[in-house]
Amino acid sequence: MDVFFIIVIVFLLLNIALGLIRVWRGPTVADRLLTTQLFGTTGMAILLVLAGYLEELTLLNVAITFNVLAILLVIGLVQARKNKKGETP
Amino acid sequence: MSVLIDLLLAILTVYLALQCLLAQRLSQSVFLFFAFGLALALAWVRLGAVDVAITEAAIAAGFMGVLFLDALRDFSPAVSENQEDLKAVQNPPSKNATKSLLLPRLALGLGLGLFLLIALEAVWKTPDGGGLTAAAVALLPESGVEHPVTAVLLNFRAYDTWLEIGVILLGLLAIYAAGGINLYRKPGVAAKDPLLRQVILFSTPVLFLFGAFLLYFGKTGPGGAFQAAVLWGAIGIMLHLGGWPVFAVLPRWLGQLILTLGLGFFLVLGFLFMARGDALFEYPPAYAGILILIVETLAAISIAAALTTIYANINQMQEEPKQNESTT
Amino acid sequence: MMIKEVITVILLLVGCFFFLAGTLGVLRFPDLFSRLHALTKADNLGLGFIAAGMALHIASPWAALKIISIWLFTLLASSTTCYLIARFQKEQDQPKNGKEPG
Repeated sequence: MDVFFIIVIVFLLLNIALGLIRVWRGPTVADRLLTTQLFGTTGMAILLVLAGYLEELTLLNVAITFNVLAILLVIGLVQARKNKKGETP
Repeated sequence: MSVLIDLLLAILTVYLALQCLLAQRLSQSVFLFFAFGLALALAWVRLGAVDVAITEAAIAAGFMGVLFLDALRDFSPAVSENQEDLKAVQNPPSKNATKSLLLPRLALGLGLGLFLLIALEAVWKTPDGGGLTAAAVALLPESGVEHPVTAVLLNFRAYDTWLEIGVILLGLLAIYAAGGINLYRKPGVAAKDPLLRQVILFSTPVLFLFGAFLLYFGKTGPGGAFQAAVLWGAIGIMLHLGGWPVFAVLPRWLGQLILTLGLGFFLVLGFLFMARGDALFEYPPAYAGILILIVETLAAISIAAALTTIYANINQMQEEPKQNESTT
Repeated sequence: MMIKEVITVILLLVGCFFFLAGTLGVLRFPDLFSRLHALTKADNLGLGFIAAGMALHIASPWAALKIISIWLFTLLASSTTCYLIARFQKEQDQPKNGKEPG
């Protein structure tokens, strides 16, 4: 069972590495912001599997931290640009 | 077998750290930094430091993230009409400038290399017993908390933590000095989008509850004031972005009181102990638990307020020079 | 006991499949809006399967509650993310600046 968990974790890590290609290519900021959501979701999955593998339930708190803060970046991008241009949505 | 995970994480972390610095476009650097934060958080988890992992997750994914996005928007051609700024950032120095920078760069590189060697040597020489771990665990019953990391941070080495809270406040003062204290009283731009408003309003209690949970959980496990503070600070930042600038509506004295509460209470407490004849920050074991919880709560509120104000100030600061430029 | 493990393995494998699908979508789809679609749907499904598998494996009610709340909040956050990014990009496209920011 442990070996299977490790395979899943490595697979998900490679998934993240693959997603880096989109950060390189872009082409827009929105595309790149998309990858942070990809990394966040995949990272949470890795943490969940790690929590089971290491039998360390506090890792769930790390996952929740990523979880509740993921939306902040999106709001940060969408609203901060609005403020700068001085136009109302 | 699990070496495979560690190996992959190590490669990913170092690769991302390098690429953050070497990427040609600013937006590539910024978003690679998020990936770096994630890889680093996972690496801390693998090293068994869940406290640091939560902090890294909160700081990298949350606070540094919005700060960097804010920086990004100032150098993007879609928004900035001033192309000169952009050129200066994107293809920085001319040949001459590169030459004159060679010596400082060489000196910096050598200095950092030397520092790294010393650090490596220190790591090499660390005794197998893990340094002071045994001493900290032995004193745990007297500290008032059950989690060794919290015991060290808020009891045994409380002085360091107190200084760390001060450093955040100093950062805020530097921003005030650069941008002017009046900036944060400007109202933000209200979010008219109903979905955006709703998601901000929905996230606020979730962030608050989870922050409070981490604060209280710090007594028995990974968590504590700094992690909670970033989550609570995220509330302030979200509300600021949604057009409800929390600290702009408070009277100024109240805002300043909240900002200095953590630092001040910590200090007063420390001196009270000294007046009793103990050392600075030497808690009486009987009350240590409750005192640590109070100190942590107040510190978390202060740090959260400081982070919110830092973001709000930086977010509004750039509007001023922009207006001047457009007139020229 | 065996059956529980088999179900966990199957759930995790299905989850991994959806994660791969989401990543490939992000890489291969031609424009931002289809990439958004691939990411915010497939990845959440993947996370859902992995969350279900791990909740079954860890088998503690408190942890299961946390895992389920992680998934529910992700669903909410990510559907909002999809809408917000799409609207942001649409507004960026309207004034004629096709240049790449940053």
